[in-house]
Amino acid sequence: MSTVLEQIEQQIAKLSNKAVKKNTGTIRTVADGVAKIDGLSDVMYNEMVQFPGGAIGIALNLEQDEVGCVILGDISQLKEGDEVTTTGKLLSVPVGKALLGRTVDSLGNPVDGKGPIETKEYYPVEKIAPGIIVRKSVSQPLFTGIMAIDSMIPIGRGQRELIIGDRGTGKTTITIDTIINQAKINKVGIASGDPKFRPVYSIYVAVGQKNSNIVRTIAALEAAGALEFTVIVAAAAADNPANQYLAPYSGAAMGEWFMENGMDALIVYDDLSKHAVAYRQISLILKRPSGREAYPGDVFYLHSRLLERAARLEGKGSLTALPIIETLAGDVSAYIPTNVISITDGQIFLETDLFNQGIRPAVSVGLSVSRVGSAAQIKATKQVGGKLKGELAQFRELAAFAQFGSDLDAKTKAQLERGGRIVELFKQPAFAPLPIELQVAVLFAMQKGFFEAVELRKVVEAAASLKAFFTGRKDALLADIRTKAVLDKDLEAKLQAACEEWKASYAS
Amino acid sequence: MATPAKIALQEARLLFSLSMEGGVVSPERVAGVLEYVEKHRPASPTAVLKAYHRLIAAELAKSEAVIEHAGSIGEPVLAAIAAVMSKRYDRKVTAKAKPNPELLAGMRVRIGDDVYESSVAAQLAALAASV
Repeated sequence: MSTVLEQIEQQIAKLSNKAVKKNTGTIRTVADGVAKIDGLSDVMYNEMVQFPGGAIGIALNLEQDEVGCVILGDISQLKEGDEVTTTGKLLSVPVGKALLGRTVDSLGNPVDGKGPIETKEYYPVEKIAPGIIVRKSVSQPLFTGIMAIDSMIPIGRGQRELIIGDRGTGKTTITIDTIINQAKINKVGIASGDPKFRPVYSIYVAVGQKNSNIVRTIAALEAAGALEFTVIVAAAAADNPANQYLAPYSGAAMGEWFMENGMDALIVYDDLSKHAVAYRQISLILKRPSGREAYPGDVFYLHSRLLERAARLEGKGSLTALPIIETLAGDVSAYIPTNVISITDGQIFLETDLFNQGIRPAVSVGLSVSRVGSAAQIKATKQVGGKLKGELAQFRELAAFAQFGSDLDAKTKAQLERGGRIVELFKQPAFAPLPIELQVAVLFAMQKGFFEAVELRKVVEAAASLKAFFTGRKDALLADIRTKAVLDKDLEAKLQAACEEWKASYAS
Repeated sequence: MATPAKIALQEARLLFSLSMEGGVVSPERVAGVLEYVEKHRPASPTAVLKAYHRLIAAELAKSEAVIEHAGSIGEPVLAAIAAVMSKRYDRKVTAKAKPNPELLAGMRVRIGDDVYESSVAAQLAALAASV
């Protein structure tokens, strides 16, 4: 017996005394978060390398005599001649539900001062996107809570919908509204005890933003009670470009965990313009050949491989992506915007002019599109809002012509009146997403002409009153719309009666 | 257009390839290359020679196993390591001992970019990192 144990112990001792092989190199230059290293002859592309002092690098340029690495972490202690070793591992980040409610950096380390994150699972930051066979077409809606979007540019679970516009047009607000709406739906769904209910978890990736803006976003999510369903990945403007470059991929890895484990997740990349700029900076320091606007040749692949990771998987969950792109002077034909437009399944274009006119969210109906279309809409929304996009586009065209002449026929005048009312109706304050059943009720009232007697400038007020009426007094009816998701004759009659009741009370 | 640094590296690579004979660095050829550079000075001789030096040093390091050790080490051990490394790298490898008391016990063999670590200091460092 003791001989057997001795044999095993000897074997263990042999193993522990076994020499460990490492492949090493020496730093030749360090500049702007990028190191050029001699040696590292065995290093693999995208492999993690260990620098002295605990800093980690990623091998991005494998050349004949040297390796170009981006450094994640403190580079102030690194100097020429320092030894660098390979790790044999790809960069991975912690994943799982333990991350919910937390703010992490691009390596998954907590930065919110709430203590360590207890998670055992790690996912690689770079991963090949799901292939064709495992994918399923997008058909389940993901409600943003924004009436203009849910009724005209619906987003489905697993879709990639770009949010594009100039600075200060409300791009981030739309995504935060969406995250808040998911949290609201989750709370209602979980409380209902419905076993078929699938919550949507959110990941918000902040790239190159001011820390003050990130804090404001976290505060807005916390105030709305949405932080407990959200992971924040922060790579602020002050972080080195390598961290900014990696943050979206880290966020995608965290989202993939939900998708792979049969859950639904939403990921917001805020924003990919700054991500492209960070990548351009790294590429220029690595002396990669530059092309249009000094971006490297693979800047399209940078975003396509990221956004392709959003999908709806057969028998598993989904990952919906809402990338944000900031345009300059409304130029959607610039390099990065056109790239991302071509990758995504549609875009929501926000216009500065509309924003300044007080139309918020400033969604440009003409330029916005969802390529998934009505497949990602519940039937009730289709019933009440199916023709809205066409009507609104027609209104904008007519409104442009109406500026040149005052003599308009009655039909045109009516169309303009109706269009104006729809525009007013779609105005919505920030961080106040509307449940889909309430949207259906408001759109039903509009379709049935309940706002026609209301003065144009009072439509917003009337809509608010209608919403308050339904939320306060017709809770059961709203619950019916939510569960049935289709307006049958009975529901239509009830809605009609409720609207008439509201009209009577509002008129008095 | 290639930068001066790139041109210097290309020239150094060319000189390096001329210095090799049968897959190893030939001292005679190196001497010949240096003589040639002395006579026909390139545009930036310092940069070319520095790059050439780096390439030759990296190549020579592949044929020499530097054995850092704490405590004494005998000739038979050096010869055994040299034989194992020659077999592993499929080239003639010589062994050179280098005392390093910081290892506490055991040894570290460095050959080219590869490091074989079997020292107490490394095990303690790994333990400290895992705690």
